[in-house]
Amino acid sequence: MSSLALLAEIRQSSERLPYEVLKLAEPLLNNNQLTSSTEDAWLVYEQVFLAALDEGQIDLAKSLLHILRTRFPASQRVKRLYGLVNEAAGHPDESQNLYAEITSADPTNVLALKRVIALLKAQGKLALAANELVAYLDTHGNDFEAWLELSHLYLAHHMYRQAAFCLEEVILQQPANHYFHLCYAEINYSMGQWDIALKEYLRVVELSTDNVRGFYGIKVTADRIIEMLASGARAGKSRREPQALSGLENVPQVPVLEKLSLLATERLVAAYSANNAAAAPAKALEDWLKQ
Amino acid sequence: MSEYTLSSQAYAKAILHSAKYPWATVHGLFLGEKNGSKFRLTDAVPLAHSWTQLTPMFDVALQQVQQYAGSKNLVIAGYYVAYENPDTIQLSASGALFAKSILAINPEAAAFVVDAKRFKAREDGRPALVPFVYAGEQWKEQPKAFGDAKGQFVLENNQALTTARILVEERAEIGIFDFDDHLDDVSLDWLQNNLLNERIRTA
Repeated sequence: MSSLALLAEIRQSSERLPYEVLKLAEPLLNNNQLTSSTEDAWLVYEQVFLAALDEGQIDLAKSLLHILRTRFPASQRVKRLYGLVNEAAGHPDESQNLYAEITSADPTNVLALKRVIALLKAQGKLALAANELVAYLDTHGNDFEAWLELSHLYLAHHMYRQAAFCLEEVILQQPANHYFHLCYAEINYSMGQWDIALKEYLRVVELSTDNVRGFYGIKVTADRIIEMLASGARAGKSRREPQALSGLENVPQVPVLEKLSLLATERLVAAYSANNAAAAPAKALEDWLKQ
Repeated sequence: MSEYTLSSQAYAKAILHSAKYPWATVHGLFLGEKNGSKFRLTDAVPLAHSWTQLTPMFDVALQQVQQYAGSKNLVIAGYYVAYENPDTIQLSASGALFAKSILAINPEAAAFVVDAKRFKAREDGRPALVPFVYAGEQWKEQPKAFGDAKGQFVLENNQALTTARILVEERAEIGIFDFDDHLDDVSLDWLQNNLLNERIRTA
Protein backbone atom coordinates (compact mmCIF):
# COMPACT_ATOMS: atom_id res chain seq x y z
CA MET A 1 0.00 0.00 0.00
CA SER A 2 1.28 3.42 -0.85
CA SER A 3 2.18 5.95 1.81
CA LEU A 4 -0.70 8.16 0.75
CA ALA A 5 -3.16 5.30 1.09
CA LEU A 6 -1.82 4.41 4.52
CA LEU A 7 -2.04 8.02 5.63
CA ALA A 8 -5.63 8.11 4.41
CA GLU A 9 -6.40 4.99 6.43
CA ILE A 10 -4.99 6.58 9.55
CA ARG A 11 -7.12 9.68 8.97
CA GLN A 12 -10.16 7.44 8.60
CA SER A 13 -9.55 5.53 11.80
CA SER A 14 -8.79 8.80 13.64
CA GLU A 15 -6.14 6.99 15.62
CA ARG A 16 -3.41 9.19 16.98
CA LEU A 17 -0.20 7.76 15.51
CA PRO A 18 2.14 10.74 15.19
CA TYR A 19 5.36 8.76 14.87
CA GLU A 20 3.98 6.57 12.08
CA VAL A 21 2.48 9.53 10.24
CA LEU A 22 5.81 11.37 10.26
CA LYS A 23 7.66 8.28 9.08
CA LEU A 24 5.22 7.83 6.20
CA ALA A 25 5.23 11.49 5.24
CA GLU A 26 8.99 12.02 5.42
CA PRO A 27 9.81 10.69 1.92
CA LEU A 28 6.78 12.43 0.42
CA LEU A 29 7.88 15.77 1.79
CA ASN A 30 11.56 15.30 1.01
CA ASN A 31 10.91 14.35 -2.59
CA ASN A 32 8.35 17.08 -3.13
CA GLN A 33 5.77 14.49 -4.01
CA LEU A 34 2.91 16.42 -2.48
CA THR A 35 1.98 18.87 -5.17
CA SER A 36 -1.23 20.80 -5.58
CA SER A 37 -2.30 18.16 -8.08
CA THR A 38 -2.12 15.37 -5.50
CA GLU A 39 -5.66 14.55 -4.50
CA ASP A 40 -5.33 14.65 -0.73
CA ALA A 41 -2.36 16.98 -0.52
CA TRP A 42 -3.97 19.52 1.83
CA LEU A 43 -5.46 16.84 4.09
CA VAL A 44 -2.05 15.24 4.31
CA TYR A 45 -0.37 18.55 5.14
CA GLU A 46 -2.87 19.08 7.94
CA GLN A 47 -2.40 15.51 9.18
CA VAL A 48 1.37 15.77 9.19
CA PHE A 49 1.14 19.17 10.86
CA LEU A 50 -0.82 17.63 13.76
CA ALA A 51 1.63 14.72 13.96
CA ALA A 52 4.56 17.13 14.02
CA LEU A 53 2.99 18.96 16.97
CA ASP A 54 2.49 15.67 18.82
CA GLU A 55 6.13 14.77 18.26
CA GLY A 56 7.36 18.18 19.35
CA GLN A 57 8.66 19.11 15.91
CA ILE A 58 7.46 22.69 16.01
CA ASP A 59 9.61 23.95 13.15
CA LEU A 60 8.31 21.28 10.81
CA ALA A 61 4.78 22.13 11.91
CA LYS A 62 5.34 25.82 11.19
CA SER A 63 6.67 25.16 7.70
CA LEU A 64 3.66 22.98 6.89
CA LEU A 65 1.34 25.63 8.23
CA HIS A 66 2.97 28.19 5.98
CA ILE A 67 2.18 26.00 2.98
CA LEU A 68 -1.44 25.68 4.08
CA ARG A 69 -1.80 29.42 4.72
CA THR A 70 -0.40 30.24 1.28
CA ARG A 71 -3.02 28.02 -0.31
CA PHE A 72 -5.91 29.03 1.98
CA PRO A 73 -5.19 32.59 3.12
CA ALA A 74 -8.58 33.38 4.64
CA SER A 75 -9.35 29.99 6.13
CA GLN A 76 -10.73 29.67 9.67
CA ARG A 77 -9.62 26.07 9.63
CA VAL A 78 -6.01 27.16 9.09
CA LYS A 79 -6.43 29.85 11.74
CA ARG A 80 -7.30 27.18 14.29
CA LEU A 81 -4.10 25.37 13.34
CA TYR A 82 -2.20 28.58 14.13
CA GLY A 83 -3.87 28.42 17.52
CA LEU A 84 -2.59 24.89 17.93
CA VAL A 85 0.99 25.68 17.00
CA ASN A 86 0.97 28.58 19.43
CA GLU A 87 -0.26 26.27 22.17
CA ALA A 88 2.52 23.82 21.37
CA ALA A 89 5.14 26.56 21.31
CA GLY A 90 4.00 27.79 24.72
CA HIS A 91 2.12 30.95 23.72
CA PRO A 92 -1.34 30.28 25.17
CA ASP A 93 -2.44 33.91 25.07
CA GLU A 94 -1.85 34.06 21.33
CA SER A 95 -3.93 30.92 20.94
CA GLN A 96 -6.66 32.28 23.12
CA ASN A 97 -6.92 35.39 20.94
CA LEU A 98 -7.03 33.39 17.75
CA TYR A 99 -9.77 31.09 19.05
CA ALA A 100 -11.73 34.09 20.34
CA GLU A 101 -11.52 35.63 16.86
CA ILE A 102 -12.82 32.45 15.28
CA THR A 103 -15.70 32.00 17.71
CA SER A 104 -16.81 35.61 17.57
CA ALA A 105 -16.89 35.43 13.78
CA ASP A 106 -18.72 32.13 14.00
CA PRO A 107 -20.16 31.09 17.39
CA THR A 108 -21.09 27.68 16.01
CA ASN A 109 -17.52 26.68 15.19
CA VAL A 110 -17.45 23.57 17.33
CA LEU A 111 -13.77 22.76 16.81
CA ALA A 112 -12.72 26.21 17.97
CA LEU A 113 -15.07 26.04 20.97
CA LYS A 114 -13.49 22.76 21.95
CA ARG A 115 -10.03 24.20 21.50
CA VAL A 116 -10.87 26.92 24.03
CA ILE A 117 -11.77 24.21 26.53
CA ALA A 118 -8.69 22.14 25.71
CA LEU A 119 -6.49 25.20 26.20
CA LEU A 120 -7.95 25.81 29.67
CA LYS A 121 -7.38 22.18 30.50
CA ALA A 122 -3.78 22.28 29.29
CA GLN A 123 -3.19 25.32 31.50
CA GLY A 124 -4.47 23.37 34.50
CA LYS A 125 -7.60 25.51 34.80
CA LEU A 126 -9.81 22.47 35.13
CA ALA A 127 -12.71 24.17 36.88
CA LEU A 128 -12.93 26.83 34.16
CA ALA A 129 -12.65 24.14 31.50
CA ALA A 130 -15.53 22.27 33.09
CA ASN A 131 -17.66 25.42 33.15
CA GLU A 132 -17.05 26.06 29.48
CA LEU A 133 -17.77 22.45 28.67
CA VAL A 134 -21.04 22.55 30.57
CA ALA A 135 -22.04 25.65 28.59
CA TYR A 136 -21.09 23.88 25.36
CA LEU A 137 -23.16 20.84 26.32
CA ASP A 138 -26.20 23.05 26.93
CA THR A 139 -26.32 23.59 23.20
CA HIS A 140 -24.68 20.39 22.02
CA GLY A 141 -26.17 17.80 24.36
CA ASN A 142 -25.89 15.07 21.78
CA ASP A 143 -22.12 15.27 21.64
CA PHE A 144 -21.40 12.20 23.71
CA GLU A 145 -17.65 12.62 23.39
CA ALA A 146 -18.01 15.97 25.09
CA TRP A 147 -19.91 14.31 27.94
CA LEU A 148 -17.02 11.85 28.24
CA GLU A 149 -14.52 14.68 28.36
CA LEU A 150 -16.59 16.35 31.09
CA SER A 151 -16.66 13.13 33.10
CA HIS A 152 -12.88 13.02 32.77
CA LEU A 153 -12.64 16.54 34.18
CA TYR A 154 -14.96 15.67 37.07
CA LEU A 155 -12.96 12.55 37.87
CA ALA A 156 -9.79 14.63 38.00
CA HIS A 157 -11.52 16.49 40.83
CA HIS A 158 -12.82 13.26 42.34
CA MET A 159 -16.41 14.38 41.76
CA TYR A 160 -17.71 10.86 41.22
CA ARG A 161 -21.42 11.60 41.28
CA GLN A 162 -21.07 14.28 38.62
CA ALA A 163 -18.86 12.01 36.52
CA ALA A 164 -21.49 9.26 36.82
CA PHE A 165 -24.15 11.67 35.59
CA CYS A 166 -22.07 12.38 32.49
CA LEU A 167 -21.71 8.67 31.80
CA GLU A 168 -25.49 8.31 32.10
CA GLU A 169 -25.86 10.86 29.31
CA VAL A 170 -23.34 8.96 27.20
CA ILE A 171 -25.12 5.65 27.77
CA LEU A 172 -28.46 7.21 26.83
CA GLN A 173 -26.91 8.03 23.47
CA GLN A 174 -24.77 4.91 23.07
CA PRO A 175 -26.59 2.18 25.01
CA ALA A 176 -25.02 -0.75 23.18
CA ASN A 177 -21.42 0.25 23.73
CA HIS A 178 -20.03 -1.91 26.53
CA TYR A 179 -17.08 0.42 27.11
CA PHE A 180 -19.34 3.12 28.54
CA HIS A 181 -21.18 0.68 30.78
CA LEU A 182 -17.76 -0.43 32.01
CA CYS A 183 -16.72 3.10 32.86
CA TYR A 184 -20.06 3.72 34.56
CA ALA A 185 -19.70 0.50 36.56
CA GLU A 186 -16.23 1.48 37.76
CA ILE A 187 -17.30 4.99 38.77
CA ASN A 188 -20.19 3.52 40.75
CA TYR A 189 -17.93 0.96 42.41
CA SER A 190 -15.52 3.72 43.36
CA MET A 191 -18.26 5.66 45.11
CA GLY A 192 -19.68 2.65 46.88
CA GLN A 193 -22.79 2.33 44.75
CA TRP A 194 -22.42 -1.43 44.67
CA ASP A 195 -25.89 -2.28 43.34
CA ILE A 196 -25.49 -0.17 40.20
CA ALA A 197 -21.89 -1.30 39.75
CA LEU A 198 -22.94 -4.94 39.72
CA LYS A 199 -25.79 -4.36 37.31
CA GLU A 200 -23.58 -2.44 34.95
CA TYR A 201 -20.75 -4.98 35.03
CA LEU A 202 -23.33 -7.62 34.15
CA ARG A 203 -24.45 -5.46 31.24
CA VAL A 204 -20.84 -5.20 30.08
CA VAL A 205 -20.42 -8.95 29.76
CA GLU A 206 -23.84 -9.19 28.14
CA LEU A 207 -22.74 -6.76 25.45
CA SER A 208 -19.32 -8.25 24.79
CA THR A 209 -17.47 -11.57 24.67
CA ASP A 210 -14.65 -12.76 26.89
CA ASN A 211 -14.61 -9.42 28.65
CA VAL A 212 -12.04 -10.18 31.32
CA ARG A 213 -12.36 -6.76 32.94
CA GLY A 214 -16.11 -7.28 33.15
CA PHE A 215 -15.73 -10.67 34.80
CA TYR A 216 -13.23 -9.34 37.35
CA GLY A 217 -15.70 -6.55 38.05
CA ILE A 218 -18.62 -8.90 38.61
CA LYS A 219 -16.56 -11.02 40.96
CA VAL A 220 -15.17 -8.23 43.11
CA THR A 221 -18.52 -6.45 43.27
CA ALA A 222 -20.56 -9.56 44.08
CA ASP A 223 -18.02 -10.64 46.70
CA ARG A 224 -17.97 -7.15 48.19
CA ILE A 225 -21.77 -7.03 48.42
CA ILE A 226 -21.88 -10.45 50.09
CA GLU A 227 -19.26 -9.31 52.58
CA MET A 228 -21.09 -6.06 53.34
CA LEU A 229 -24.45 -7.75 53.77
CA ALA A 230 -22.85 -10.25 56.12
CA SER A 231 -21.12 -7.62 58.23
CA GLY A 232 -24.25 -5.46 58.17
CA ALA A 233 -26.32 -8.39 59.37
CA ARG A 234 -23.74 -9.14 62.05
CA ALA A 235 -23.98 -5.55 63.25
CA GLY A 236 -27.72 -5.97 63.47
CA LYS A 237 -28.47 -3.52 60.68
CA SER A 238 -31.41 -4.08 58.39
CA ARG A 239 -32.78 -2.85 55.12
CA ARG A 240 -34.91 -0.41 57.04
CA GLU A 241 -31.79 1.62 57.78
CA PRO A 242 -30.82 2.88 54.31
CA GLN A 243 -27.68 4.71 55.31
CA ALA A 244 -26.28 1.61 56.95
CA LEU A 245 -26.63 -0.32 53.72
CA SER A 246 -26.17 2.51 51.27
CA GLY A 247 -25.34 1.35 47.81
CA LEU A 248 -27.01 -1.96 48.54
CA GLU A 249 -30.62 -1.03 47.94
CA ASN A 250 -31.24 -3.14 44.88
CA VAL A 251 -28.98 -6.12 45.18
CA PRO A 252 -29.91 -9.71 44.47
CA GLN A 253 -30.26 -12.25 47.27
CA VAL A 254 -27.07 -13.78 48.65
CA PRO A 255 -27.51 -17.16 46.89
CA VAL A 256 -27.79 -15.34 43.57
CA LEU A 257 -24.72 -13.24 44.39
CA GLU A 258 -22.77 -16.36 45.21
CA LYS A 259 -23.79 -17.93 41.91
CA LEU A 260 -22.72 -14.77 40.07
CA SER A 261 -19.34 -14.82 41.77
CA LEU A 262 -18.90 -18.46 40.86
CA LEU A 263 -19.95 -17.82 37.29
CA ALA A 264 -17.48 -14.94 37.03
CA THR A 265 -14.73 -17.20 38.36
CA GLU A 266 -15.52 -19.87 35.83
CA ARG A 267 -15.66 -17.34 33.01
CA LEU A 268 -12.32 -15.83 34.03
CA VAL A 269 -10.63 -19.21 34.01
CA ALA A 270 -12.20 -20.01 30.64
CA ALA A 271 -11.20 -16.67 29.13
CA TYR A 272 -7.61 -16.98 30.33
CA SER A 273 -7.17 -20.45 28.92
CA ALA A 274 -8.94 -19.70 25.64
CA ASN A 275 -6.82 -16.62 24.98
CA ASN A 276 -3.22 -17.76 25.54
CA ALA A 277 -2.78 -16.12 28.90
CA ALA A 278 0.83 -15.42 29.86
CA ALA A 279 2.19 -17.73 32.56
CA ALA A 280 2.80 -15.31 35.41
CA PRO A 281 -0.58 -13.57 35.14
CA ALA A 282 -2.35 -16.94 34.79
CA LYS A 283 -0.69 -18.12 37.99
CA ALA A 284 -1.61 -14.81 39.60
CA LEU A 285 -5.26 -15.37 38.67
CA GLU A 286 -5.15 -18.88 40.09
CA ASP A 287 -3.72 -17.66 43.39
CA TRP A 288 -6.11 -14.73 43.49
CA LEU A 289 -9.13 -16.99 43.02
CA LYS A 290 -7.97 -19.18 45.88
CA GLN A 291 -7.67 -16.39 48.44
CA MET B 1 14.19 5.89 59.02
CA SER B 2 13.67 3.62 56.03
CA GLU B 3 16.13 3.73 53.15
CA TYR B 4 15.37 3.16 49.50
CA THR B 5 17.74 2.23 46.68
CA LEU B 6 16.39 2.55 43.15
CA SER B 7 17.60 0.14 40.47
CA SER B 8 17.85 0.75 36.72
CA GLN B 9 15.04 -1.64 35.94
CA ALA B 10 12.61 -0.11 38.40
CA TYR B 11 13.37 3.44 37.31
CA ALA B 12 13.36 2.68 33.59
CA LYS B 13 10.03 0.88 33.69
CA ALA B 14 8.30 3.66 35.59
CA ILE B 15 9.64 6.23 33.11
CA LEU B 16 8.73 4.09 30.10
CA HIS B 17 5.21 3.56 31.42
CA SER B 18 4.69 7.31 31.60
CA ALA B 19 6.38 7.79 28.22
CA LYS B 20 3.98 5.36 26.56
CA TYR B 21 0.95 7.45 27.57
CA PRO B 22 2.07 11.08 27.62
CA TRP B 23 -1.53 12.33 27.42
CA ALA B 24 -2.69 10.30 30.41
CA THR B 25 -2.10 9.81 34.11
CA VAL B 26 -0.41 6.45 34.70
CA HIS B 27 0.37 4.63 37.90
CA GLY B 28 1.99 1.46 39.14
CA LEU B 29 3.88 -0.22 41.93
CA PHE B 30 7.52 -0.70 42.85
CA LEU B 31 8.65 -4.10 44.07
CA GLY B 32 11.76 -4.53 46.13
CA GLU B 33 13.93 -6.60 48.39
CA LYS B 34 13.57 -5.83 52.08
CA ASN B 35 16.49 -5.95 54.46
CA GLY B 36 15.37 -4.62 57.81
CA SER B 37 14.42 -1.03 57.02
CA LYS B 38 16.37 -0.95 53.77
CA PHE B 39 14.53 -1.47 50.52
CA ARG B 40 16.15 -2.16 47.18
CA LEU B 41 13.55 -1.29 44.52
CA THR B 42 14.30 -3.85 41.85
CA ASP B 43 11.25 -3.76 39.63
CA ALA B 44 8.17 -1.80 38.63
CA VAL B 45 4.76 -3.28 37.84
CA PRO B 46 2.69 -0.88 35.72
CA LEU B 47 -0.99 -0.88 36.55
CA ALA B 48 -3.12 1.56 34.59
CA HIS B 49 -3.26 4.42 32.10
CA SER B 50 -7.01 5.09 32.08
CA TRP B 51 -9.59 5.84 34.78
CA THR B 52 -6.73 6.04 37.24
CA GLN B 53 -8.98 7.59 39.89
CA LEU B 54 -11.22 4.53 39.93
CA THR B 55 -10.72 1.69 42.35
CA PRO B 56 -12.04 -1.74 41.33
CA MET B 57 -9.25 -2.90 39.02
CA PHE B 58 -6.63 -1.30 41.26
CA ASP B 59 -7.94 -3.48 44.08
CA VAL B 60 -7.68 -6.63 41.94
CA ALA B 61 -4.21 -5.73 40.68
CA LEU B 62 -2.92 -4.89 44.14
CA GLN B 63 -4.03 -8.27 45.47
CA GLN B 64 -2.40 -10.08 42.56
CA VAL B 65 0.84 -8.10 42.83
CA GLN B 66 0.97 -8.84 46.54
CA GLN B 67 0.82 -12.56 45.88
CA TYR B 68 3.26 -12.33 42.98
CA ALA B 69 5.74 -10.35 45.08
CA GLY B 70 5.49 -12.87 47.89
CA SER B 71 6.24 -15.68 45.49
CA LYS B 72 9.47 -13.91 44.46
CA ASN B 73 10.50 -12.99 48.00
CA LEU B 74 9.83 -9.35 47.24
CA VAL B 75 7.61 -6.77 48.89
CA ILE B 76 5.59 -3.89 47.50
CA ALA B 77 7.96 -1.07 48.33
CA GLY B 78 6.28 1.86 46.62
CA TYR B 79 3.60 3.45 44.49
CA TYR B 80 4.45 5.61 41.48
CA VAL B 81 2.27 7.94 39.46
CA ALA B 82 2.86 10.23 36.48
CA TYR B 83 0.15 12.87 36.01
CA GLU B 84 -1.18 13.91 32.63
CA ASN B 85 -0.31 17.49 33.47
CA PRO B 86 3.50 17.62 33.68
CA ASP B 87 3.25 20.55 36.09
CA THR B 88 1.61 18.34 38.70
CA ILE B 89 4.28 16.90 40.94
CA GLN B 90 2.17 16.54 44.06
CA LEU B 91 0.12 13.48 44.97
CA SER B 92 -3.53 13.94 44.04
CA ALA B 93 -6.31 12.95 46.42
CA SER B 94 -6.80 9.57 44.77
CA GLY B 95 -3.04 9.08 44.46
CA ALA B 96 -2.66 9.69 48.16
CA LEU B 97 -5.42 7.18 48.88
CA PHE B 98 -3.95 4.52 46.62
CA ALA B 99 -0.53 5.03 48.16
CA LYS B 100 -2.13 4.80 51.60
CA SER B 101 -3.75 1.47 50.72
CA ILE B 102 -0.25 0.12 50.16
CA LEU B 103 0.76 1.21 53.64
CA ALA B 104 -1.69 -1.36 54.94
CA ILE B 105 0.49 -3.99 53.27
CA ASN B 106 3.86 -2.37 53.89
CA PRO B 107 3.85 0.47 56.43
CA GLU B 108 7.23 1.65 55.11
CA ALA B 109 6.13 1.97 51.48
CA ALA B 110 6.96 5.27 49.79
CA ALA B 111 5.14 7.13 47.04
CA PHE B 112 6.80 8.63 43.97
CA VAL B 113 5.58 11.20 41.47
CA VAL B 114 7.26 11.26 38.07
CA ASP B 115 8.57 14.70 37.18
CA ALA B 116 8.43 14.73 33.38
CA LYS B 117 9.88 18.21 33.17
CA ARG B 118 12.94 17.16 35.11
CA PHE B 119 13.39 14.23 32.74
CA LYS B 120 13.13 16.54 29.77
CA ALA B 121 15.49 19.08 31.30
CA ARG B 122 18.08 16.36 31.78
CA GLU B 123 18.85 17.51 35.31
CA ASP B 124 22.13 15.80 35.96
CA GLY B 125 22.56 13.14 38.56
CA ARG B 126 18.96 13.00 39.73
CA PRO B 127 16.14 10.74 38.56
CA ALA B 128 12.85 12.27 37.49
CA LEU B 129 11.05 10.99 40.58
CA VAL B 130 9.87 12.97 43.60
CA PRO B 131 9.52 10.72 46.65
CA PHE B 132 6.90 11.13 49.37
CA VAL B 133 7.04 9.57 52.80
CA TYR B 134 3.99 9.09 55.02
CA ALA B 135 4.36 10.87 58.32
CA GLY B 136 1.91 12.64 60.59
CA GLU B 137 -1.17 11.50 58.67
CA GLN B 138 0.03 12.84 55.36
CA TRP B 139 2.43 12.27 52.51
CA LYS B 140 5.44 14.54 52.82
CA GLU B 141 7.57 15.44 49.85
CA GLN B 142 11.29 14.70 50.10
CA PRO B 143 12.67 17.34 47.74
CA LYS B 144 16.34 16.77 48.49
CA ALA B 145 16.09 13.08 47.66
CA PHE B 146 18.60 11.40 45.38
CA GLY B 147 21.00 14.30 45.83
CA ASP B 148 23.19 12.70 48.43
CA ALA B 149 25.03 9.39 48.06
CA LYS B 150 24.22 8.54 51.66
CA GLY B 151 20.67 9.88 51.75
CA GLN B 152 17.34 8.16 52.36
CA PHE B 153 16.72 7.79 48.63
CA VAL B 154 19.61 6.81 46.38
CA LEU B 155 20.11 5.49 42.90
CA GLU B 156 21.76 2.12 42.72
CA ASN B 157 24.12 3.57 40.17
CA ASN B 158 24.19 6.51 37.77
CA GLN B 159 23.83 4.11 34.88
CA ALA B 160 20.13 4.06 35.72
CA LEU B 161 19.69 7.58 34.35
CA THR B 162 21.55 6.90 31.10
CA THR B 163 19.70 3.64 30.59
CA ALA B 164 16.33 5.30 30.96
CA ARG B 165 17.33 8.02 28.53
CA ILE B 166 18.59 5.57 25.90
CA LEU B 167 15.39 3.56 26.15
CA VAL B 168 13.13 6.58 25.78
CA GLU B 169 15.13 7.76 22.75
CA GLU B 170 14.62 4.41 21.06
CA ARG B 171 10.90 4.39 22.00
CA ALA B 172 11.25 1.21 24.05
CA GLU B 173 7.98 2.14 25.77
CA ILE B 174 6.04 0.35 23.05
CA GLY B 175 7.18 -2.82 24.81
CA ILE B 176 5.75 -2.13 28.27
CA PHE B 177 2.32 -3.53 29.14
CA ASP B 178 0.24 -2.67 32.19
CA PHE B 179 -2.73 -4.34 33.89
CA ASP B 180 -5.13 -2.30 31.73
CA ASP B 181 -3.47 -3.78 28.63
CA HIS B 182 -3.59 -7.25 30.14
CA LEU B 183 -7.34 -6.95 30.75
CA ASP B 184 -7.78 -6.35 27.02
CA ASP B 185 -5.35 -9.12 26.05
CA VAL B 186 -4.46 -11.72 28.66
CA SER B 187 -1.44 -12.90 26.69
CA LEU B 188 0.38 -9.73 27.84
CA ASP B 189 2.54 -10.27 30.93
CA TRP B 190 1.99 -7.10 32.96
CA LEU B 191 3.63 -8.58 36.04
CA GLN B 192 7.02 -9.21 34.49
CA ASN B 193 7.40 -7.55 31.06
CA ASN B 194 10.33 -9.94 30.50
CA LEU B 195 11.25 -8.85 26.99
CA LEU B 196 11.58 -5.29 28.19
CA ASN B 197 13.65 -6.40 31.17
CA GLU B 198 16.07 -8.03 28.74
CA ARG B 199 16.33 -4.81 26.76
CA ILE B 200 16.95 -2.84 29.93
CA ARG B 201 19.72 -5.25 30.95
CA THR B 202 21.49 -4.88 27.63
CA ALA B 203 21.02 -1.13 27.20
